[in-house]
Amino acid sequence: MRGEFILVSDKHTDASFLIHHFLSFYLRAGCKVCFLGLVQSFSHYSAISQRLGVSLTQAREKGQLVFLEGLKESLGVLLQGEASKGTRAVDFLRDPSSGLRGLYDFVRDNVRGGGGGEEWGPPVLLVDDLSVVLSLGVSVGAALDFSHYCRATVCSKLQGSMVMLVRCEEEEEEEESDEGSERLLRGLIHQCSLTLQVQGLPTGYCRDIHGQVEVCWRGQCDGQQTQKKLFQYKVHDKGASFFARGTSSAVL
Amino acid sequence: MITPYCRLLPYLSLTDSCHCTRYQSEVQGRLFPCGYINPGPSASIQAHQIFHFYHIFHHLAISIHPVLQGTEAGGLILIQDSVNYSGRHLKSYINTTLKRYITFPWHEYFQCVVHVLGFEASEDELKDGLDITSAQRLHFHNAYSDPLSWTRNSQFTVHQFTLEDIGTLLKQTPQAKAVTLIIDSLSWILRHHDPAVIWGAVRAVVSLLHSILHQQGTVGRIRHMATSVITVAPGTRGLGEEIFSINEDLTVTIQSKLSHPGHTGMNTEESELADPTANLTFNLRLSDTEREAKEKLALPFDFSKEKKSALLHLGPSSGRILYEPDANDDYDPEDPEDDLDF
Repeated sequence: MRGEFILVSDKHTDASFLIHHFLSFYLRAGCKVCFLGLVQSFSHYSAISQRLGVSLTQAREKGQLVFLEGLKESLGVLLQGEASKGTRAVDFLRDPSSGLRGLYDFVRDNVRGGGGGEEWGPPVLLVDDLSVVLSLGVSVGAALDFSHYCRATVCSKLQGSMVMLVRCEEEEEEEESDEGSERLLRGLIHQCSLTLQVQGLPTGYCRDIHGQVEVCWRGQCDGQQTQKKLFQYKVHDKGASFFARGTSSAVL
Repeated sequence: MITPYCRLLPYLSLTDSCHCTRYQSEVQGRLFPCGYINPGPSASIQAHQIFHFYHIFHHLAISIHPVLQGTEAGGLILIQDSVNYSGRHLKSYINTTLKRYITFPWHEYFQCVVHVLGFEASEDELKDGLDITSAQRLHFHNAYSDPLSWTRNSQFTVHQFTLEDIGTLLKQTPQAKAVTLIIDSLSWILRHHDPAVIWGAVRAVVSLLHSILHQQGTVGRIRHMATSVITVAPGTRGLGEEIFSINEDLTVTIQSKLSHPGHTGMNTEESELADPTANLTFNLRLSDTEREAKEKLALPFDFSKEKKSALLHLGPSSGRILYEPDANDDYDPEDPEDDLDF
């Protein structure tokens, strides 16, 4: 899984279970993880990872995990205004038109292996989630530039992996739908090597099957076309289980 | 009016070493010497996989050939793709362009050079799959690692997409007679530059080296500028087209020419496309016995003559209502609804 840019997107449903999965997966694999948690607090992720068998606090203390707690950092900017000593990473809150360069600098500084201590595996960048910056005033182009730079640094230069979550809004009837998360999603799909598109079931709500995931490998595969596969999933307390369509244990 | 789709393709079938007739296509009234296609007076060629057009178009290739036997050359080829298809077609184009001039004698005087202005993919990714000789003749200008100078390590930034800077790039290979400039991708540049600027720069680039293109009208404008547009989309198309496919080694083979709708390959694919009972989790098909039973079924409101006459002539005791008013029914003929209040 080296040098991969994995894009997780969802529409009308919640794909954050995949982020939790990847987080615990990479931590267990011994990789150095840089996590940009822009939408939830550290304790939220910590509690869920505990159930998945990984302790985020320990990982953070050991230096394996670098966690940017977006909510806490933003408080510094929003409450104290100009005279804030918050990190540059959330500079985009102060000035949305400046783009996400500060955030990229944070990523770049933290994604290399730390000096001293243990040597970790290839670096991993996790972002949860990128579409929230759009609602904070950052333009789609700036978000795409950020992901481009992250990919150039993390995937190409350091041979690490990257996982980003993008959430699509409700479909609008107006032209405006072009401006928002749809455009961001399309731009990111062009950049990534693997997309996981999570949706609810087309036939409606089901207690035993929570939704479907469409996995799409782009470009680097042997065949001419992109390969697509569709799976259904169910989210349990200790993770999610995936199965082929129609083979849920509740059905068989 | 948007220019007609790719009436030209300088693609070369390397698997067919045979008779390759020189092919000239007419594009917008100008002769455009291009590669060798077998066989093929057919004018329109579309990609094997046709996808729906998204408004982000992706790659731009400018072919600039010097004056050749008196015919004007040069052109702007625009490759448009969508999220469903990856960029292998661009690599294939690069590959064939590189190979084109070394295979046929009347072009041997020219050394074809390909300059790639890469924003979207790194050099390794782009060169992956090309053979060594081709890779060596590819001049890659790295605009991928730092296009906006964020790490202050940039070799080519997006703001350098101007006439002078591109000219400097191309002057790095002064001995080349035929230069192809491939821009990967124009969408990237459009995010940071006003389309008018791009239009000016691209036009100027081509006119610097060679010919003057006719310009017309952000997507539409550049599309108009292109002498040929390749739209990449999935599916199959109709009559009078050649389809080609991109092979493992990034060469392109022209497959059968579809000149009539009765082509068997096409039919099965189309019927597959149109079959809604495929890929369902429940069964919509009928077995033979079920189909027979369905056909034998008499529908309730499907009246045959006998049934109609039987219904119209009612039997004596069918369907009559017999009403005996009981004690509670106080029927007053002058006040049938019993709501008058005196």
